Amino acid sequence: MRVLISPLRFILEALRGRKLATIGALWLLLIIVLGIGAPLVAPFDPLEIDPIARLSEPGAPYLFGTDHFGRDTFSRAVYGARMALIIGFGSVVVALLCGGLIGMLSGYFTGLGHILMRVVDVLMAFPALLLALGLMTILERSVMNTIIVIGTVYATTTARILFGMTLKLKNDVFIDAARCTGAGHFSILFKHILPNLLSPILVQATFIFAFAQLQAAALDFLGLGLPPETPSWGNMLAEERIYITRAPWLLIYPGVLIILSVFSMNLLGDALRDRIDPRFKDDIAGV
Amino acid sequence: MFAYTIKRLLTLIPTLVAASILVFLFIHLIPGDPAAILLGDSATPEDIVALSKELGLDRPLWQQYLLWFRNVLSGNLGNSLFFNTPVLTVIADGAETSILLALLTMSWIVLLGIPIGILSASFKGSWIDQITSGFAMLFASIPTFWLGLYLILIFAVGLGWFPSSGFPSLSDEGGLSNIRYLILPSLTLAAPNAALIIRLIRSSMLDVSREDHVRTARAKGLHPAKVAVKHVFRNALIAVAAAFGFTFAALISEAVVTETVFSLPGIGRLVVQSILRRDYPVIQGVILIIVLLYLFVNLLVDLAYAWLDPRVSLS
Repeated sequence: MRVLISPLRFILEALRGRKLATIGALWLLLIIVLGIGAPLVAPFDPLEIDPIARLSEPGAPYLFGTDHFGRDTFSRAVYGARMALIIGFGSVVVALLCGGLIGMLSGYFTGLGHILMRVVDVLMAFPALLLALGLMTILERSVMNTIIVIGTVYATTTARILFGMTLKLKNDVFIDAARCTGAGHFSILFKHILPNLLSPILVQATFIFAFAQLQAAALDFLGLGLPPETPSWGNMLAEERIYITRAPWLLIYPGVLIILSVFSMNLLGDALRDRIDPRFKDDIAGV
Repeated sequence: MFAYTIKRLLTLIPTLVAASILVFLFIHLIPGDPAAILLGDSATPEDIVALSKELGLDRPLWQQYLLWFRNVLSGNLGNSLFFNTPVLTVIADGAETSILLALLTMSWIVLLGIPIGILSASFKGSWIDQITSGFAMLFASIPTFWLGLYLILIFAVGLGWFPSSGFPSLSDEGGLSNIRYLILPSLTLAAPNAALIIRLIRSSMLDVSREDHVRTARAKGLHPAKVAVKHVFRNALIAVAAAFGFTFAALISEAVVTETVFSLPGIGRLVVQSILRRDYPVIQGVILIIVLLYLFVNLLVDLAYAWLDPRVSLS
C-alpha cells in the first residue's frame, strides 16, 4: 500500500469506528483550543497572588480553588495546557528533526549509517530520564532547555525507527525507478522516501508527545524542569504536593489533566498505528 | 550459541568505551575548572592545584581519560563533595534499598502482568479484554509520582496500612518486616511497567496465535487453555524477553521519581539529591554504574533471546 494521503484524512480514517479514540481526539482538540486561547479563557492572571484567599476551596470566584500563594488554580491549569502544548510540540519537532534526519540519512547512506547508528546506540545506553537528568545538570532550568533535553532523549529512538524504515523502502522498485529517471540522492530521500514515511512519523509523533508530557512532569516534580514560577501541570503538582492532605483538589486537577491528555494521545497513537502500512507496524513501539 | 555469546560480548566493548567517554566528559561539559568542580566550594587553591596534578588536567584530554579509566577500573570513582567519603561507598549505601525495590517491583510485574496479559489475549474482543486493555493503557498514562502521592494519601495517611515514607535496612530493628515500607513504592513503580507488559504479551500472543502450528494444535483437539499457555504464550515469551531490556530502563528512570516521592534512601534519590547539591563526582559515578548495569542487562536479554529463539544466533 503506497498511497499518499493527507495527515488529516489519515487521522479521520484511523478514528472511524473507534469511539474511545475519537473522544480522546476531541479532548486533545479542547486542550489545543484552551492552550491557544489561554489569555481569553483564564479569568485571572496565572501569576497573580491573592494572599487573603490562600488555599480556598473550589467555588466562586475561583472555579478550581487557589494554591498556597492564593493563585487561581483554574487559570494556572489553562496556562498549563499552553505549556503542555509548547513542551509537547517542541519535543516532537526536536526529536523528529534530529532523529529523523539521522535515521533517514543512516538508512540511505549505509556507510555513514554504521557510524551514526553506533553513536545512537551509545546514547540509548543511557536510560531516558537519567540522560535527561544528566543534561539538566549541565543546562539551566528553562522552557527551551527542557524541550531540547526531552527532544534529544526521543531523537535516539526516532533515529533508530526511521533508520529501519528507510532501509526497507530503499530497495523498493519505485526507488529504483526514480533512480533510473535520473533523480539525485536529495530528491530520492525527500521526494520519494519521506512522503512514504509521513504516516509512521505521525504515529511516532503522537507517542513522543505523550511521553514528553510524562517526562516533563517528572522533571518538574524533581525540581529540574521548567523554572518554578512557570505555570505548568507538573510544576503545579510539584509545588502543592505538601498540601495534599489540606487541599487535595490542588493535585487532582493538574494530575487528571495530565492523565487524560497522555491517555488520549496514546489512544490516538494506537488508532493511527493500526491504520498504517503493515510493514512498519513492528517498528513503532508505543505505550 | 557459544559463538554468538562471544560475538555479542565483542560488540559490547566499543559501546562500553564510548559510553565511558561520554560519562568522563560530563565533568568537562560543566562550565569551570574540573578540579574546582570536583572539590566543591570549600577547596583551597592548593587543593585545586594538587587535584589538577593528580587528574593530569595539564595533559591532553585522551591521557586524562586513560587516567580516569584506570582509576575507575581500580574502583576509585573519586570522593563525594557532600559526604566526604568515596563515591563507591555512597552508592553502595543506597544499593540495598534500590535492589530490594527492583526485585519487589519485578515480582509484581510478573505476578500481575503475565496472567492478565494472557487473559486479555485469550478473550480477545470480549469485555474482559476491553477492560484490561483500557486499564493497562490508563496506567501507562499516569505520572508515577502522582500515583505514589495518592497511594500515600489513601493507604498510609488514610487507612494507615503501610508506612508513608523511608526505609530502615532489613538488618535494622524490625528485620524482614521492614519490607512493608517498600510495598507502596514497589506497587507505584510496577503499575506503568506491568501495564506495558500486559499490552506487549497481548499483542505478541495475538501475533503468534495466527501461526500455522497453533492452528494444528487446535485442530488436533488440544484444550484451548493448553494451546494458550503451551503453544502461544511460550512463543510470545520471546518478544516479552526482548522487552525486559527496556522495562529495566523504564524502571531505573521511574525509580528516581518513586524513591523521591517515598523518601527512600536508594540510588535513585541519591541522583536527584546529588544534582541539587551539585555533588558532581557522585552524579558521574551513579551514571557510570547505571549505564554499566543497563548494558549488562541488555546483554543478558539478548542472550536469553537467542536461547529462546535459536534462529537469532544462527543468522
